[in-house]
Amino acid sequence: METSPLSKTLWGLFGTVSMLFLLSPIALVVIFSFGENRLATLPMGGFTFKWYGKLIADPNFWSALENSLIVTLSVGAISTVIGTLAAMALARWRPGTANAAMMTLSLPVMMPPLVLALALATSLSSLGLRFGLHTVIPSHLVFTQPFVILIVYAQMANFNFAMLDSARDLGATPWHAFFTIVLPNIRSTLIGAALIAMSVSLDDFIITFFTIGNGMTLPTLVWGMLRTALDPSINALGTLILIATITSSVIALSITRYRG
Amino acid sequence: MSELGRHRWPVLPAFAVFGLLFVGPLAFFLVVSFWRLRAYKLVPDFTLDNYLDVWSEYLHAAIFTLLISLLIAILTTVIGFMIAYLARFRAGRYGNLILFVVLVTLFGGYLVKIYAWKTILGTGGILNSTLVDLGLINEPLAWLLYSPTAVVITLVNFLLPFTVLPIYGSLRGIDEVPLSAARDLGAGGARVFRDIVLPQCKPGLFAAFAVSFLITAGDYVTPRLVGGPNTFMAGNFIESQFINRLNAPIGSALSYAMLIGCGLVLLLFQKTLTRVLKPR
Repeated sequence: METSPLSKTLWGLFGTVSMLFLLSPIALVVIFSFGENRLATLPMGGFTFKWYGKLIADPNFWSALENSLIVTLSVGAISTVIGTLAAMALARWRPGTANAAMMTLSLPVMMPPLVLALALATSLSSLGLRFGLHTVIPSHLVFTQPFVILIVYAQMANFNFAMLDSARDLGATPWHAFFTIVLPNIRSTLIGAALIAMSVSLDDFIITFFTIGNGMTLPTLVWGMLRTALDPSINALGTLILIATITSSVIALSITRYRG
Repeated sequence: MSELGRHRWPVLPAFAVFGLLFVGPLAFFLVVSFWRLRAYKLVPDFTLDNYLDVWSEYLHAAIFTLLISLLIAILTTVIGFMIAYLARFRAGRYGNLILFVVLVTLFGGYLVKIYAWKTILGTGGILNSTLVDLGLINEPLAWLLYSPTAVVITLVNFLLPFTVLPIYGSLRGIDEVPLSAARDLGAGGARVFRDIVLPQCKPGLFAAFAVSFLITAGDYVTPRLVGGPNTFMAGNFIESQFINRLNAPIGSALSYAMLIGCGLVLLLFQKTLTRVLKPR
């Protein structure tokens, strides 16, 4: 396209400002997690690890970390299995029908989390279920599986199903055919899909908060800290959550074709 | 096993999760909005009283929520479009860097970001102290935090990555050939943009608008943490009906009233988008 120097400058300016706007809250949390001062103001004081030390000394942190690991790993594993099964079958449907099915299964992602959380909490409690990690995990599945399905489906679109069919014709069981033919071809995609599902699950606050009962995960621990006195170890905790979700999503995006 | 049967059962677990944990709970939640509450117990009934209560008590909160959601959705869609357009057509080799930043900010901590804005926008926060140091203002701007402005800034920041990606997805699908053909035939930059680029973005624009509108309309955490004592959105009232008053029927009636309101706004947006983007 035609580029006058003025429009080039304006776009450059817009790009810089918008990137700074996107990154500033994240950068701030990371920087202040190493700052000496109690208040997040400039100047930030000397470099320190003391907020991390304070966090590590807090037993609530360890229980929240343990719960988050249980939930995130279970949700990652289960949604990857369920989502992959669905995506492999959908890849052999007519594209129109498959897209309609995927749109339907993606509705939970569009629903405001508060409404979904309250619907789940009301239903689960009227069934007489006690809340805990066993109610959080299924509740997460419903909004993480769409990501797995979309990611794996995008990959399966260029999978050569003739390979699978000939293996089956030559007598391979479905499981044998899957593990020897399909899995080696889509292994990195599956890891990527699992990591995205885990990031989404790890970051969820609202649905976890309403379905967990008395326990804590890392985001609900952040919520508790936000509501009490100003506590800079929140920056340290935030940085740890950011490192976990950003690392896993960057790895995921670099090994899959999925781009939003 | 028949060909169709073989490709049908593997989707069953996914649809079972969807049915049991999405359709079922939402259906039950809808039913509850017609029930009554007696002595903190749900009593099956068929009454419209909850909706009448919502209409008389929360109408202004609902309208305020829809308006602020509309503002936020328009802002994020426009800015998101500009970022996506920049990454696709203007930034050259920086395009991938922009996308990388967008993807990194997509999954990074909802609560942590809200908390960060609280420290940025406060009267002793970084933004105010920098503006004072630069001599641009004499005293800190108190209205930056604990105000609707803070809610708008925080949510636009949180939602931007969700709008850039679907719009970029649409823009990536635009072929260079019709663009250069149109230019060779004498169409100006604005004409090419209006008649070729924008119409092809329609699905991406709608997805971007819908996601940011729905998430804002259902949010209660942002107004609670940075909105101050006078910014109550429908989500705050829905949440307090459950947590403080243990009144599920009113809470669910308000939820469904908001969902209907959102549905109408999205329908209107789609009609407007179709009319505006029709190539002349």
